[in-house]
Amino acid sequence: MAGLTVPYARSAWTESRDQFAAVARLRWCIFVNSARTLRGRLEAVSSVLMGVLFGLLGIGGMFGLGLAAWYFVSHGKAEWLALLLWSICLYWQIFPLMATAFAESFDSSNFLRFPLRYRSYFFIRMAYGVLDPATLVASAWTLGIFAGISIASPILLPWAALVLAAFAAFNILLNRALFAWIERWLARRKTREILGIVFLLLIVGVQFIGPLTARLGRQPHRNIGRYAGLALRAERVLPPGLAGAAIASATERRLTVAFASFGFLCVYGAACLWILDLRVRSQFHGELISEVVAPVAPSSAREKRHSARVGWDLPGLSQPVAAVFEKEFRYLSRSSSMIFMMLMPVVILLIMGIGRTAAMGPHPASPSPHSHPFPAGVWHYAFPIALGYALMILTNLIYNSLGADGGGVQMYYVVPVRFRDVLLGKNLMHAAILIVETVLLWIAATLMFGGVPLGILLATLAALIFAAIVDFAAGDCLSLLSPKKMDFAVFGRQRAAGTTAFAALGVQAVVFGLVAATFIVAHFFGGLWLAVVLNLALGALALAGYAALLSRIDALARHRREAIISELLRAT
Amino acid sequence: MDVPAISTENLTRRFGNLVAVDGVNLRVVPGQFFGFLGPNGAGKSTTIKMLTGLLAPTSGRIEILGRDMVADSVEVKRQIGVVPEGMALFGRLTGSEYLNFVGRMYGLGRSVASQRAAELLEFMQLANQPKALVADYSHGMQKKLALAAAVIHGPRILFLDEPFEGVDAIASGTLKAMLQRMIARGATIFLTSHVLEIVERLCSHLAIIHRGRLVAQGSLEDLRAGVQAHAAAASGNGDQPIAPAVPSEKLTLEEIFLRIVGGSRISEGELSWLG
Repeated sequence: MAGLTVPYARSAWTESRDQFAAVARLRWCIFVNSARTLRGRLEAVSSVLMGVLFGLLGIGGMFGLGLAAWYFVSHGKAEWLALLLWSICLYWQIFPLMATAFAESFDSSNFLRFPLRYRSYFFIRMAYGVLDPATLVASAWTLGIFAGISIASPILLPWAALVLAAFAAFNILLNRALFAWIERWLARRKTREILGIVFLLLIVGVQFIGPLTARLGRQPHRNIGRYAGLALRAERVLPPGLAGAAIASATERRLTVAFASFGFLCVYGAACLWILDLRVRSQFHGELISEVVAPVAPSSAREKRHSARVGWDLPGLSQPVAAVFEKEFRYLSRSSSMIFMMLMPVVILLIMGIGRTAAMGPHPASPSPHSHPFPAGVWHYAFPIALGYALMILTNLIYNSLGADGGGVQMYYVVPVRFRDVLLGKNLMHAAILIVETVLLWIAATLMFGGVPLGILLATLAALIFAAIVDFAAGDCLSLLSPKKMDFAVFGRQRAAGTTAFAALGVQAVVFGLVAATFIVAHFFGGLWLAVVLNLALGALALAGYAALLSRIDALARHRREAIISELLRAT
Repeated sequence: MDVPAISTENLTRRFGNLVAVDGVNLRVVPGQFFGFLGPNGAGKSTTIKMLTGLLAPTSGRIEILGRDMVADSVEVKRQIGVVPEGMALFGRLTGSEYLNFVGRMYGLGRSVASQRAAELLEFMQLANQPKALVADYSHGMQKKLALAAAVIHGPRILFLDEPFEGVDAIASGTLKAMLQRMIARGATIFLTSHVLEIVERLCSHLAIIHRGRLVAQGSLEDLRAGVQAHAAAASGNGDQPIAPAVPSEKLTLEEIFLRIVGGSRISEGELSWLG
């Protein structure tokens, strides 16, 4: 069998280099070939437009942070650099988790059939990670800080480059490790439940911030100073603080501290590398992340009953609509990634709750009008803001509602059911999710902010009805025009097509603009009740449009069937 | 005269400049186990997609049980069951949930769908893992589930695109038993497969498509006779006549197929590095 062996020996480096080149070439070919179709070209255009948006964010931040860094270093306040680095670090780690739709995710198992060395496999995974927008934006910001420091003190250039490179590497590794581990934790029921409990404890924990600060406020400065000192010391031993200290110490020629801080920063980076390595190595050895517990042999009488369970009966809905609704529910309830994303609006509320406690001080119940940066009433808008965010998150699902069906979409074309019933079932599920989100957010807002005033509550609900119906109508069209296969089981693989994301953004901008206009009109002419009426009127118009669209959707579905099926059958 | 189960008239499908299916005229009588054969890329899957409503024809006409597929597609779909190329499964449902879902999409009542789903899972030997998701099924299990979904509403015509691909002998036996039972009860089955031995054993009638055109249609005996007659005529012209591998036996379907669509063997010098 001499013919089946590798014809000539090659060094590991040569082989790896060729493999990287092949992967890079693969990505390039996929990109070029995608431009063969109109949809592919639209995708490319929307990617460019999204790139411009992220580019503006990156360049704007780069100049802003660069200017701040220059100011701190040139005015002898280099210790404040840590503040800038903390903001970058938080963005780098939190943004991708909150907006998995923008994250670059790929199925690494695709490469496992090739004779890749572990190091090459790891490198390829990292290369994919570096391509995500959060990393690019945060890297630009870090570059801005580097430029600011270098201009203020050119002698610091090599040291700042070294420290900031280590800081960037730490962030990339931590970000990748977080993604990999969250994906793993969410894939197992037990760890998923533990995460759920931690999350709930976090929400409950926020309730104690107010009373705690109030208590601290009664025995002021001595304790507060002590706790602030403790927090500051903790900040200094964490990576952004260490990176800041490494540069600040160098400006003061305290080289031992500078080297020690840099050394600890590298230790953090190495720890992240090790944690990430554990995950990637398991995947390299063929670990399959699955949401289900491996099926165990047998079929007890109870399980047989489970197997014979009848479907849901939803009053007023036809069999197909009820069946689609039930199917959607089962899909979503088995996707911890989606559940995680849907909890994010509550996290937003949580962050606003913490912000409010910080801004209003220890006695939020009786604020003094002159002592706080925000008027007390502004926090009542936390509920509408969080609900708006919930709707934004749901757009991924609404605007690509066939994405999770994959090849199953063929079923809708071979059964004697109108496509409008399929989409109606899906939209009803989306509406149900929105209702649950609304109730959850209302409870959270009541706990954290002492309730939502009735006027704001009703105006928000009316606006939500209007916005949701517009989203359903636009989402149904885009689901047919620009579908993209999604994987509910894998964290970060629920991204809609670029064209869809961009169009969704446009629709949201118009809808949110209209809603904002109703609130402004209401503010000037008659109070929030007017906003309720205006939004309900807009909702009624939207509903009429939605009904008209549904009656024509079958023709569009028929017209687009080949493109839809081929796109959703495609391997991810 | 009986209305044909399936009939097509000048069925054509173009993809840009490529004519994938070119003026196909098919006729399948009710109760037939019909095999639709052809080499890779001949147009089999395109044809079956058009017959089942997954793909629009560029021109031509399709009638299923006397109804026009385009004008009356919902009524046609009530009468047919389909196992398409990609199986059309929903990976994140359990087998039972999936069959229940499909049953209800075909308009069965909830309890009827549930009862039939349980019976089908039992028959297909899929009932012993009621909580496993379809995505975690083996390929053979998925094929069996796809077939179960295609028959849950008791269709009069069943379209199967490569139902035996990747299926082991045990699962294949189960599938064949079910298909033969359906034929015995008067259903029509339209099947494409590359496994010619299975087609030869199951199908009473065949059609062969090659480069988008229908090149043969009829019972196995008709095709055999046609090939032999053609061979006899060819030998009269001095060409090499075709003969069965074992002289005393009839031509196998594989021999008939190769004779009709042609084929090439690997030559000595090619792929020499394979050893």
